[in-house]
Amino acid sequence: MKLELRELCKNFGTHQVLKGVSLKAESGTAVGLLGRNGAGKTTTLRILMNVFPADSGEILLDGKPIDYQKTGIGYLPEERGLYPKKIIRDQLIYFAELKGMSRSDAAAAVDRWLERLDMKEYSGKKLDSLSKGNQQKIQLITAVAHDPDIVILDEPFSGLDPVSAELLKEVVREEMRLGKIILFSSHQMNYIEEFCNEIAILNGGNIVLEGNLREIRHRHAGNALVVRSPEQEEICRYYNGRASLAEDGSLRITLADPRDRYREMRLVTEKWAVDEIRVFEPSLNDIFVQYTKNQI
Amino acid sequence: MKQFRTIFSFELRNYFKNKFFVGTTVFLMILIAVIMFFPKISGLLKSGTSEQKDAQQILLYAEDPEMEKTAETAFAQAFPDYHVSLAEGEEEIISRVKSGAADCGFWIKSDSEYVYYVNNRTMYDYNTEIADEVLRGIAQMRALTGSGMSIEQAGSILSVPVNHTVKTIGKDQSQNFFYTYIMIFALYMVILLYGQMVSTSVATEKSSRAMELLITSADPVSMMFGKVIAACLAGLIQLLCIFGTAFLLFNITRTDWQDNRIVTSIFDMPLHLLLFMLLFFALGFFIYAFLYGAVGSTVSRLEDINTAIMPITFLFIIAFIVVMTAMGSGQVDTVPMLVCSFIPFTSPMAMFTRIAMSTVPAWQVAVSVGLLGISVIGIGVLAARIYRVGVLLYGTAPKPAELLRMIRKG
Repeated sequence: MKLELRELCKNFGTHQVLKGVSLKAESGTAVGLLGRNGAGKTTTLRILMNVFPADSGEILLDGKPIDYQKTGIGYLPEERGLYPKKIIRDQLIYFAELKGMSRSDAAAAVDRWLERLDMKEYSGKKLDSLSKGNQQKIQLITAVAHDPDIVILDEPFSGLDPVSAELLKEVVREEMRLGKIILFSSHQMNYIEEFCNEIAILNGGNIVLEGNLREIRHRHAGNALVVRSPEQEEICRYYNGRASLAEDGSLRITLADPRDRYREMRLVTEKWAVDEIRVFEPSLNDIFVQYTKNQI
Repeated sequence: MKQFRTIFSFELRNYFKNKFFVGTTVFLMILIAVIMFFPKISGLLKSGTSEQKDAQQILLYAEDPEMEKTAETAFAQAFPDYHVSLAEGEEEIISRVKSGAADCGFWIKSDSEYVYYVNNRTMYDYNTEIADEVLRGIAQMRALTGSGMSIEQAGSILSVPVNHTVKTIGKDQSQNFFYTYIMIFALYMVILLYGQMVSTSVATEKSSRAMELLITSADPVSMMFGKVIAACLAGLIQLLCIFGTAFLLFNITRTDWQDNRIVTSIFDMPLHLLLFMLLFFALGFFIYAFLYGAVGSTVSRLEDINTAIMPITFLFIIAFIVVMTAMGSGQVDTVPMLVCSFIPFTSPMAMFTRIAMSTVPAWQVAVSVGLLGISVIGIGVLAARIYRVGVLLYGTAPKPAELLRMIRKG
């Protein structure tokens, strides 16, 4: 399965929210959709979920316009919320039925997921009687119970304790193993780095960076070296102003010209005793800040 | 269609699981049962007590003993539900009426003048009108006997029996007033109550953010129609339970009510009127519930809902007041009522009242129902569009013009 968003544009009144957003995702992969608040992430996701149409552009699944009758989409919204005063199992079945399942299939799937997330004992309780973390688990079930082809997770880890976060990670990995397309929207870059093979950074309604995360990081590497050495002070003096101590205790040497990196590496290893030397690869956070600091 | 069915059954189940809904219905059914069995219960209580409460008392005093005697007999005939007794003077009348020992009193000064004493006069106190008639009769009798006629002759002149037959060509308002009143009131209560419930339900989904999931799971038309039709059915079922209980118990206790014209007239409602009632109930309910639902979708917080729905509620209250005023005056074919019976927001109550209490040409009924039906579809579609836009808006509720602009732009 291959999902493709092609040149999506959307205006709200005079405000142009999306200016030609394109994105690709394949089965069994997770794509991280990044962007600052107001960059157009939610609008993109809502168009993908058919909440409203794009002004122009198209959404293709395996090369054909997506058929929402046949394609299941699961959604974990950033703004969590279900019916606080209604019985948990009833509302989970309701949402699964709305997604096209028969009542008996929905009930079976809901029971399976409640069991899987250790929530079986709460199935007959009202949602507002649960802790926030457990409510998040219930919310997750609404996104996956109907066995969707595409799972959209908007800030899935926000507010989760470490144990619940691990459980969620397990679920996401399993969904990937099952060949689902996962779209991941989050500001927590460590989770994106952990799950997503591909990323797309939205800024001011445009995709400003898209591609394989490893390649992107590699592409953005090279303008600095990371050095660990017992003679860091001498190295620092030598590079006068171009070397600085990083938070992790290593030395960061900024290169005047990235093409000189191998020559500089040779020079450092020849002149000083070196425990570790490598080309600096920026974190996803660094790349994100670089591309979004000047939001249009 | 499947989504509509799912939403409809979920919403309907919620009503039946709602303790307040079930509790209110059961309470009203019990209340109706108590009312319907009241004559039986009261009869049992009366027969169980050895000392019955004194009959209502009228005191009478006249300075002329002959006049006093004549008046006592005439008043006893004119006030069959009262026990007429003589008083010693004005002071006794005042003190006994004031203490509650007597209900009222008359000081007959002559056959053309009297003073009526009553403690708290009710709106429906017609005793002076009866007393006027009685004294007028005494005066006429005295005049006739004074001119040489025997008492028998005078009596036969004054009480010439007049036989009359009433043939109502159209509707008899004395027969249909009470059930029309009850039906209009039920219509008003149910539409207002359930309309607001629809609106609150939408606003709750939005404020609890369940809407975030709903809008990605179902189309707004199914959501709006599922909610409204479920609320309509829940309202109808509740009415059916309450009125069904009343009807059933009336048939069981029919003999206890045979002297009560109001109660018997309520249960003598013709079937065709009941069907009209159901038709106008459903159409009127839809039109208002769609509006309430649409307005509910534009607010982000539950506390804003009352302000937002106020214009619709006012519109409905105005319709209710127009209809009630017309019913009270007995003039249900006035120009305002005629106009109201064609305006979709007022016609459910106005046209139903006219059909029940007057003779309405068939074309007027057809036009009114037709306009109402078209409006229900139109408002339903508009409400679904408002809903589609409204549920995505958070923060300050948009102004109507702003909302219409958003709908036009999709």
